[in-house]
Amino acid sequence: MFSFIKIVLRNLIRGPSTEPYPFGKASAPKGLRGKVKFDAHNCVACRMCEHVCAGGAIQFSEVPDKRGLKFTLWHNTCAFCGLCEYYCPTKAIHLTGDYHTAHLQKDKYGYVETGLVKYQPCANCGTPMVPVSPRLLSLAYGQVNGDIARLTHLCSECRRQICDPVSSNRSEVK
Amino acid sequence: MKSLLPQISTRSPWLYRINAGSCNGCDVELATTALIPRYDVERLGCKYCGSPKHADIVLVTGPLTAKVKDKVLRVYDEIPDPKVVVAVGICPVSGGVFRDSYAVHGPVDSYIPVDVNVPGCPPRPQAIIDGIVEAIKIWKSRM
Repeated sequence: MFSFIKIVLRNLIRGPSTEPYPFGKASAPKGLRGKVKFDAHNCVACRMCEHVCAGGAIQFSEVPDKRGLKFTLWHNTCAFCGLCEYYCPTKAIHLTGDYHTAHLQKDKYGYVETGLVKYQPCANCGTPMVPVSPRLLSLAYGQVNGDIARLTHLCSECRRQICDPVSSNRSEVK
Repeated sequence: MKSLLPQISTRSPWLYRINAGSCNGCDVELATTALIPRYDVERLGCKYCGSPKHADIVLVTGPLTAKVKDKVLRVYDEIPDPKVVVAVGICPVSGGVFRDSYAVHGPVDSYIPVDVNVPGCPPRPQAIIDGIVEAIKIWKSRM
Protein backbone atom coordinates (compact mmCIF):
# COMPACT_ATOMS: atom_id res chain seq x y z
CA MET A 1 0.00 0.00 0.00
CA PHE A 2 2.79 2.39 0.86
CA SER A 3 5.10 1.27 -1.92
CA PHE A 4 4.89 4.74 -3.45
CA ILE A 5 6.73 6.15 -0.43
CA LYS A 6 9.79 4.25 -1.52
CA ILE A 7 9.59 5.86 -4.98
CA VAL A 8 9.02 9.32 -3.51
CA LEU A 9 12.03 8.99 -1.23
CA ARG A 10 14.19 7.66 -4.04
CA ASN A 11 13.23 10.55 -6.30
CA LEU A 12 13.88 13.05 -3.50
CA ILE A 13 17.41 11.74 -3.12
CA ARG A 14 18.07 11.58 -6.87
CA GLY A 15 16.91 15.13 -7.53
CA PRO A 16 15.18 16.42 -10.64
CA SER A 17 15.72 14.62 -13.94
CA THR A 18 15.11 17.76 -15.98
CA GLU A 19 18.09 19.08 -17.91
CA PRO A 20 18.90 22.64 -16.80
CA TYR A 21 19.01 24.03 -20.35
CA PRO A 22 18.25 26.93 -21.25
CA PHE A 23 19.01 28.15 -17.71
CA GLY A 24 22.13 26.02 -17.35
CA LYS A 25 24.67 24.25 -19.47
CA ALA A 26 23.69 21.72 -22.12
CA SER A 27 25.76 18.71 -23.00
CA ALA A 28 26.05 16.94 -26.33
CA PRO A 29 26.27 13.16 -26.44
CA LYS A 30 29.27 11.59 -28.11
CA GLY A 31 28.81 10.95 -31.82
CA LEU A 32 26.02 13.51 -32.21
CA ARG A 33 25.78 14.91 -35.72
CA GLY A 34 25.55 18.66 -35.38
CA LYS A 35 26.67 21.63 -37.44
CA VAL A 36 29.26 20.95 -40.13
CA LYS A 37 32.81 22.28 -39.89
CA PHE A 38 34.89 22.56 -43.04
CA ASP A 39 38.68 22.51 -43.15
CA ALA A 40 39.93 24.04 -46.43
CA HIS A 41 43.52 22.98 -45.75
CA ASN A 42 42.71 19.28 -46.15
CA CYS A 43 40.19 19.66 -48.98
CA VAL A 44 41.24 18.47 -52.45
CA ALA A 45 38.02 19.64 -54.15
CA CYS A 46 37.03 16.17 -55.34
CA ARG A 47 33.43 17.35 -54.81
CA MET A 48 32.29 14.00 -53.44
CA CYS A 49 30.50 15.80 -50.59
CA GLU A 50 28.55 17.89 -53.11
CA HIS A 51 27.62 14.70 -54.98
CA VAL A 52 26.38 12.71 -51.98
CA CYS A 53 24.67 15.58 -50.09
CA ALA A 54 21.08 14.46 -49.51
CA GLY A 55 19.67 17.93 -48.98
CA GLY A 56 21.72 19.61 -51.72
CA ALA A 57 23.27 21.86 -49.09
CA ILE A 58 26.86 21.77 -50.33
CA GLN A 59 28.03 23.78 -53.31
CA PHE A 60 31.45 24.37 -54.81
CA SER A 61 31.92 27.46 -56.98
CA GLU A 62 34.87 29.37 -58.36
CA VAL A 63 35.31 32.79 -56.77
CA PRO A 64 34.96 35.71 -59.22
CA ASP A 65 38.66 36.66 -59.06
CA LYS A 66 39.63 33.01 -59.77
CA ARG A 67 41.72 32.70 -56.61
CA GLY A 68 40.26 29.34 -55.76
CA LEU A 69 37.15 27.28 -55.14
CA LYS A 70 34.62 28.35 -52.58
CA PHE A 71 32.88 25.74 -50.44
CA THR A 72 29.44 26.76 -49.23
CA LEU A 73 27.18 24.73 -46.97
CA TRP A 74 23.76 26.14 -46.16
CA HIS A 75 22.79 24.81 -42.74
CA ASN A 76 19.12 25.47 -43.41
CA THR A 77 18.88 22.59 -45.86
CA CYS A 78 21.50 20.30 -44.32
CA ALA A 79 19.88 17.13 -42.97
CA PHE A 80 22.87 16.38 -40.69
CA CYS A 81 23.00 12.90 -42.22
CA GLY A 82 26.81 12.81 -42.14
CA LEU A 83 27.24 11.40 -45.67
CA CYS A 84 29.71 14.17 -46.52
CA GLU A 85 31.90 13.26 -43.58
CA TYR A 86 31.65 9.56 -44.41
CA TYR A 87 32.63 9.94 -48.07
CA CYS A 88 35.25 12.69 -47.68
CA PRO A 89 38.55 10.92 -48.52
CA THR A 90 40.70 13.42 -46.63
CA LYS A 91 38.24 14.02 -43.76
CA ALA A 92 38.11 17.74 -44.47
CA ILE A 93 34.46 17.81 -43.34
CA HIS A 94 33.46 17.11 -39.77
CA LEU A 95 30.12 17.13 -38.05
CA THR A 96 30.61 18.83 -34.72
CA GLY A 97 28.57 18.39 -31.56
CA ASP A 98 27.11 21.90 -31.89
CA TYR A 99 23.34 21.59 -32.31
CA HIS A 100 22.31 25.13 -31.34
CA THR A 101 20.83 26.01 -34.69
CA ALA A 102 17.96 28.38 -33.85
CA HIS A 103 18.28 31.77 -35.56
CA LEU A 104 16.13 34.67 -36.67
CA GLN A 105 14.52 34.88 -40.09
CA LYS A 106 16.75 37.76 -41.18
CA ASP A 107 19.82 35.50 -40.83
CA LYS A 108 18.21 32.71 -42.86
CA TYR A 109 20.36 32.98 -45.98
CA GLY A 110 23.50 33.98 -44.09
CA TYR A 111 23.51 30.84 -41.98
CA VAL A 112 26.28 29.11 -43.94
CA GLU A 113 29.62 27.42 -43.46
CA THR A 114 32.16 28.62 -46.01
CA GLY A 115 35.76 27.92 -46.89
CA LEU A 116 38.13 28.82 -49.69
CA VAL A 117 40.33 26.19 -51.34
CA LYS A 118 43.03 28.43 -52.80
CA TYR A 119 44.60 27.61 -56.16
CA GLN A 120 48.33 27.12 -56.34
CA PRO A 121 50.33 27.76 -59.57
CA CYS A 122 51.92 24.74 -61.21
CA ALA A 123 55.71 24.80 -60.65
CA ASN A 124 56.36 24.06 -64.32
CA CYS A 125 53.76 25.88 -66.43
CA GLY A 126 52.09 28.18 -63.90
CA THR A 127 48.53 26.96 -64.49
CA PRO A 128 46.41 27.45 -61.35
CA MET A 129 45.47 24.11 -59.77
CA VAL A 130 43.95 22.77 -56.57
CA PRO A 131 46.82 21.91 -54.20
CA VAL A 132 47.24 18.30 -53.13
CA SER A 133 46.63 17.95 -49.42
CA PRO A 134 49.29 16.18 -47.35
CA ARG A 135 46.60 13.95 -45.89
CA LEU A 136 45.62 12.63 -49.32
CA LEU A 137 49.26 11.85 -50.10
CA SER A 138 49.76 9.92 -46.89
CA LEU A 139 46.50 8.04 -47.58
CA ALA A 140 47.57 7.13 -51.10
CA TYR A 141 51.26 6.36 -50.60
CA GLY A 142 51.75 5.86 -46.87
CA GLN A 143 55.21 7.32 -46.66
CA VAL A 144 55.82 10.19 -49.08
CA ASN A 145 59.28 10.31 -50.62
CA GLY A 146 60.95 13.31 -52.29
CA ASP A 147 59.93 12.39 -55.84
CA ILE A 148 56.24 12.23 -55.00
CA ALA A 149 56.46 15.45 -52.99
CA ARG A 150 58.00 17.19 -56.03
CA LEU A 151 55.23 15.93 -58.33
CA THR A 152 52.54 17.45 -56.09
CA HIS A 153 53.65 20.92 -57.18
CA LEU A 154 52.88 20.14 -60.83
CA CYS A 155 49.54 20.25 -62.61
CA SER A 156 48.10 17.04 -64.07
CA GLU A 157 49.34 17.80 -67.61
CA CYS A 158 52.94 18.47 -66.53
CA ARG A 159 52.88 15.39 -64.30
CA ARG A 160 51.77 13.23 -67.21
CA GLN A 161 54.55 14.58 -69.43
CA ILE A 162 57.24 13.94 -66.83
CA CYS A 163 56.04 10.45 -65.93
CA ASP A 164 55.28 9.23 -69.46
CA PRO A 165 56.60 11.64 -72.13
CA VAL A 166 56.08 9.23 -75.07
CA SER A 167 52.36 8.57 -74.65
CA SER A 168 51.58 12.19 -73.74
CA ASN A 169 53.25 13.33 -76.99
CA ARG A 170 51.29 10.75 -78.93
CA SER A 171 48.02 12.06 -77.55
CA GLU A 172 48.99 15.55 -78.69
CA VAL A 173 49.57 14.30 -82.28
CA LYS A 174 46.09 12.81 -82.38
CA MET B 1 -1.63 48.51 -17.48
CA LYS B 2 -0.11 48.62 -20.96
CA SER B 3 3.39 48.15 -19.61
CA LEU B 4 2.28 45.40 -17.27
CA LEU B 5 0.60 43.28 -19.94
CA PRO B 6 3.72 42.24 -21.90
CA GLN B 7 5.48 41.31 -18.67
CA ILE B 8 2.70 39.09 -17.42
CA SER B 9 1.56 37.50 -20.65
CA THR B 10 5.01 36.61 -21.95
CA ARG B 11 5.43 34.44 -18.88
CA SER B 12 2.88 32.02 -20.30
CA PRO B 13 2.89 31.77 -24.08
CA TRP B 14 0.66 29.07 -25.51
CA LEU B 15 2.09 26.96 -28.24
CA TYR B 16 0.25 25.64 -31.23
CA ARG B 17 1.62 23.08 -33.61
CA ILE B 18 0.84 22.98 -37.32
CA ASN B 19 1.86 19.92 -39.26
CA ALA B 20 2.37 21.06 -42.85
CA GLY B 21 3.04 17.60 -44.25
CA SER B 22 5.78 16.60 -41.87
CA CYS B 23 7.33 13.11 -41.75
CA ASN B 24 6.52 13.05 -38.00
CA GLY B 25 10.20 13.32 -36.99
CA CYS B 26 9.95 16.94 -35.88
CA ASP B 27 6.54 16.28 -34.30
CA VAL B 28 8.04 13.57 -32.14
CA GLU B 29 10.79 15.97 -31.07
CA LEU B 30 8.18 18.62 -30.28
CA ALA B 31 6.25 16.11 -28.19
CA THR B 32 9.50 15.15 -26.47
CA THR B 33 10.26 18.79 -25.73
CA ALA B 34 6.87 19.28 -24.12
CA LEU B 35 5.98 15.99 -22.52
CA ILE B 36 9.18 14.45 -21.20
CA PRO B 37 10.36 15.93 -17.91
CA ARG B 38 13.94 15.77 -19.13
CA TYR B 39 13.47 18.74 -21.50
CA ASP B 40 10.26 20.22 -20.11
CA VAL B 41 9.36 23.30 -22.11
CA GLU B 42 6.72 24.13 -19.48
CA ARG B 43 9.45 25.68 -17.33
CA LEU B 44 9.20 28.65 -19.70
CA GLY B 45 5.48 28.84 -18.98
CA CYS B 46 4.66 27.30 -22.33
CA LYS B 47 1.69 25.06 -22.83
CA TYR B 48 0.40 23.27 -25.89
CA CYS B 49 -3.13 24.22 -26.82
CA GLY B 50 -5.58 22.42 -29.05
CA SER B 51 -7.25 25.39 -30.63
CA PRO B 52 -5.56 27.89 -32.94
CA LYS B 53 -7.71 30.64 -31.37
CA HIS B 54 -5.82 30.29 -28.08
CA ALA B 55 -2.35 30.22 -29.61
CA ASP B 56 0.47 32.74 -29.25
CA ILE B 57 3.45 30.94 -30.73
CA VAL B 58 2.99 28.73 -33.78
CA LEU B 59 5.37 25.88 -34.46
CA VAL B 60 5.31 24.77 -38.09
CA THR B 61 6.75 21.43 -39.17
CA GLY B 62 6.86 19.91 -42.64
CA PRO B 63 7.57 21.29 -46.11
CA LEU B 64 4.01 22.57 -46.83
CA THR B 65 2.75 19.94 -49.21
CA ALA B 66 0.25 20.74 -51.95
CA LYS B 67 -2.40 18.71 -50.13
CA VAL B 68 -2.31 20.62 -46.84
CA LYS B 69 -1.39 24.11 -48.07
CA ASP B 70 -4.92 25.54 -48.01
CA LYS B 71 -5.69 23.98 -44.65
CA VAL B 72 -2.49 25.33 -43.10
CA LEU B 73 -3.20 28.83 -44.37
CA ARG B 74 -6.80 28.65 -43.09
CA VAL B 75 -5.66 27.51 -39.62
CA TYR B 76 -2.93 30.16 -39.60
CA ASP B 77 -5.50 32.88 -40.27
CA GLU B 78 -7.50 31.76 -37.23
CA ILE B 79 -4.62 32.48 -34.86
CA PRO B 80 -5.08 35.89 -33.24
CA ASP B 81 -2.43 38.62 -33.52
CA PRO B 82 0.24 39.14 -32.28
CA LYS B 83 1.54 35.74 -33.29
CA VAL B 84 5.06 34.46 -33.69
CA VAL B 85 5.92 31.69 -36.14
CA VAL B 86 8.73 29.23 -35.51
CA ALA B 87 9.74 26.92 -38.36
CA VAL B 88 10.94 23.64 -36.85
CA GLY B 89 13.17 21.43 -39.01
CA ILE B 90 14.78 22.04 -42.39
CA CYS B 91 11.60 21.24 -44.33
CA PRO B 92 9.60 24.38 -43.45
CA VAL B 93 12.73 26.54 -43.65
CA SER B 94 13.97 25.56 -47.10
CA GLY B 95 12.08 22.46 -48.25
CA GLY B 96 14.95 20.27 -47.08
CA VAL B 97 15.38 17.01 -48.96
CA PHE B 98 11.90 17.45 -50.50
CA ARG B 99 12.79 20.75 -52.15
CA ASP B 100 11.72 21.12 -55.81
CA SER B 101 9.23 18.26 -55.53
CA TYR B 102 5.98 18.69 -57.47
CA ALA B 103 4.04 17.78 -54.32
CA VAL B 104 5.69 20.46 -52.17
CA HIS B 105 4.66 24.11 -52.30
CA GLY B 106 7.09 25.29 -49.63
CA PRO B 107 9.18 26.78 -48.17
CA VAL B 108 6.69 27.99 -45.60
CA ASP B 109 8.01 31.56 -45.54
CA SER B 110 6.73 32.19 -49.06
CA TYR B 111 3.17 32.04 -47.65
CA ILE B 112 3.51 32.72 -43.91
CA PRO B 113 5.80 35.32 -42.30
CA VAL B 114 8.24 33.16 -40.34
CA ASP B 115 10.15 34.76 -37.43
CA VAL B 116 12.49 32.09 -36.10
CA ASN B 117 14.10 29.17 -37.92
CA VAL B 118 15.25 26.03 -36.15
CA PRO B 119 16.99 23.86 -38.75
CA GLY B 120 17.79 20.22 -38.10
CA CYS B 121 16.45 16.89 -39.32
CA PRO B 122 14.98 16.77 -36.73
CA PRO B 123 16.37 19.46 -34.40
CA ARG B 124 17.30 18.43 -30.88
CA PRO B 125 14.84 19.36 -28.10
CA GLN B 126 17.36 21.90 -26.77
CA ALA B 127 17.48 23.59 -30.19
CA ILE B 128 13.66 23.76 -30.21
CA ILE B 129 13.76 25.31 -26.72
CA ASP B 130 16.30 27.83 -28.12
CA GLY B 131 13.84 28.72 -30.87
CA ILE B 132 10.95 29.10 -28.41
CA VAL B 133 13.08 31.40 -26.22
CA GLU B 134 13.79 33.58 -29.28
CA ALA B 135 10.09 33.52 -30.18
CA ILE B 136 9.09 34.66 -26.66
CA LYS B 137 11.47 37.63 -27.01
CA ILE B 138 9.90 38.60 -30.35
CA TRP B 139 6.41 38.15 -28.95
CA LYS B 140 7.23 40.46 -26.05
CA SER B 141 8.35 43.16 -28.49
CA ARG B 142 5.07 42.86 -30.41
CA MET B 143 2.73 43.17 -27.44
